[in-house]
Amino acid sequence: MAAFINILLGGVFHAAVLFLVAAGLQIVFGVQKIVNLACGSFYALGAYFGVTTVTWALKAGLPPFLFLPVLIASGVVLAVIGPVIERLLRTVYDRDESFQLLLTFALVLMFQDIMRYFWGANPQQLGNLVMVYGKVGAGGVDLPVYNVLVIAGSIAIALILGGFLQRTRYGRILRATAENRAMTEALGVDVRRINVVVFTLGTVLGTVGGAFVVPTSAASLDMAVELVVEAFAVVVIGGLGSMRGALAGALVVGLMRAAAIALYAELELLSIYLVVILVLILRPSGLFGKPAE
Amino acid sequence: MDLGRRKAIKTIGTAGVVAATLPILGFPAIAQNRPLRVGIIAPKAGIAGTIGECGLQGTLFAVEKINAAGGIAGRMVELVIEEETNPKDSIERLRKLVLQDKVDCVQGIVSSGVSLAMGPAAEEMKALTIYWDGTTQDGVDETMAKPRYVFRSTDNECEAVMASLLVVKHWKGKFKTIAGINPDYSYGRNNWAAFQALLKKFGIEFTVVAEQWPKVGTLDLTSHVAALKAAKPDMIFSSLLFADLPVFMRTAHSAGLMEGTRFAFPAAGFQHTALKKEFTPEGMIFGHNTLYFDHPQANALQKEFVAYYHNKTKDYPHWEADRAYFAMQAYKAGVEKAQKAKNAWPSIEEIAAAMEGVKVDSLGGPGRMREDHIAEQTFYQGITTHKNKYDFPTLGVVDTMYSDQLQKPPGANFWKWIETAQIKL
Repeated sequence: MAAFINILLGGVFHAAVLFLVAAGLQIVFGVQKIVNLACGSFYALGAYFGVTTVTWALKAGLPPFLFLPVLIASGVVLAVIGPVIERLLRTVYDRDESFQLLLTFALVLMFQDIMRYFWGANPQQLGNLVMVYGKVGAGGVDLPVYNVLVIAGSIAIALILGGFLQRTRYGRILRATAENRAMTEALGVDVRRINVVVFTLGTVLGTVGGAFVVPTSAASLDMAVELVVEAFAVVVIGGLGSMRGALAGALVVGLMRAAAIALYAELELLSIYLVVILVLILRPSGLFGKPAE
Repeated sequence: MDLGRRKAIKTIGTAGVVAATLPILGFPAIAQNRPLRVGIIAPKAGIAGTIGECGLQGTLFAVEKINAAGGIAGRMVELVIEEETNPKDSIERLRKLVLQDKVDCVQGIVSSGVSLAMGPAAEEMKALTIYWDGTTQDGVDETMAKPRYVFRSTDNECEAVMASLLVVKHWKGKFKTIAGINPDYSYGRNNWAAFQALLKKFGIEFTVVAEQWPKVGTLDLTSHVAALKAAKPDMIFSSLLFADLPVFMRTAHSAGLMEGTRFAFPAAGFQHTALKKEFTPEGMIFGHNTLYFDHPQANALQKEFVAYYHNKTKDYPHWEADRAYFAMQAYKAGVEKAQKAKNAWPSIEEIAAAMEGVKVDSLGGPGRMREDHIAEQTFYQGITTHKNKYDFPTLGVVDTMYSDQLQKPPGANFWKWIETAQIKL
């Protein structure tokens, strides 16, 4: 029983982390048709900035249990970089996908150097702050309460995003733009503005996600590349551009990984990419993706 | 007048060309007038960025001291720094340093993947190359039997051998089940296998209850820790390093894995200041490799360097600084020995030959360059304590071993050496 709970909790926690990275990737691709490799960099930037902000706040006398709102706020503040990067991406909107990939990969490398300039090569972390909220036990398994908060936070973000896209007027406009950009533009929608909003939203998902998760891990220069590789497994399984796909893909990857680690650790990566290959063979558009026309 | 001016310009131009060509042709009289150029190839980004940065400080400290004392055999040292990345690009940078920057020596290299690939290229280019922390081993097997220009650091397995010996020394009879969590590449796998081989050698009966192989850079180790906890080992051996280690330690602490389990971390010194007391307990076997910054009997040189490093970085150095310092001082010793023997500026071949057998007082203690171009250095590990002025653990009990006890002799097979070596605990 404990082994099952371990797999479940470990898997869902990892899925929550992956969802936060993949969600930004999905919404940007869904509407703007840009495969944004820099989504991992936004996540890393959020993690670094979150560590710095919370460290400052604690030195300024912030009670440790209030660090979470500060972390979230630090991620939201980084929304300012969204419109700047989106302006840069306008140069490749109508060009071949390889230009988009090259530009966003260049951003990954540039962000890595920027982070190294400001924070140095040493990993940054928040000590044992993750234990401020204590831990919970379930079936003989101990888990920090903060990990439960990360899981709950990811679910909340998924619900809010789902509600926003499905039930609000602006969400419908976004979906319409994703379906048929030319028609939406012809109906008077300012698509340029939509692009800025969507890219900023994708950026914030990454930066808030990175800040939110960093107390459980660390901010390091290579985390952007590490995460984006896993995030791509998520979107291939879930379907490129689908938020439901991001959620399903993250759960599949998280649980497969946790099960492999518990049962036969050598299969940790193999198990994930086996699923990716199976999905590509049996359902190339992913579990929730739309088949190419 | 015009003709005279043209003649004068032509003469000055010819002289300039000749002057510029002389160093290329290797005229020693001109060559000695320019500073010695040392090329450094070190990682500055990615998982090994923190290691490269620390090593560079060791090099800068060495060069400042050398230049302040009049240079190497009378020539000042200047550095040309390049970045270590993947093997292909790093070899390109070696080529650039040798052909374009015309460096006299190349030092650096942290990744064994890069150093293994670079060894033959450096030999082919006749580039005197001294590795900080890379080897030319494929796994544990030496690939360069008789290098002429390449000098490498101690075997990567030294730290695992020492940690294993300390486990036997301090904890024999106190554990029956063991588990490992080691990085998923040859270093992690060899360390884990060496640990088990040494336990067998010393007659310790044990059962392996779990093995975990996270890939380097994994920052969510929740499931790995849960699997280790479920296996209930008496002792865990882990060669985790880089950012993964503090993440593991914190995750293990919050999951209650620390309670009732002994830990041995042969390579933890790379991240020593990131392993905070609040989640890193006392009583662990903890490796600092060839530099323990807080050694109570540290020599004046080490104390001076630790103060220098702390002043520049507000941090405390790990062993990469020592490796870099050792490389520079071994080169200096080789040049000066060859220059003294020849009473003229020596060739690269003469310097390389002179470096064989040189002894160097490095930051962490005495070291020597073996005749087969493999370094010997002093290693430090011990048992952690919280009784110090820092926010991270240091060593309460410090064990010191010289690498002749920890690495295979020239030409030996590592696994056979473990079986037959007369190792003192």
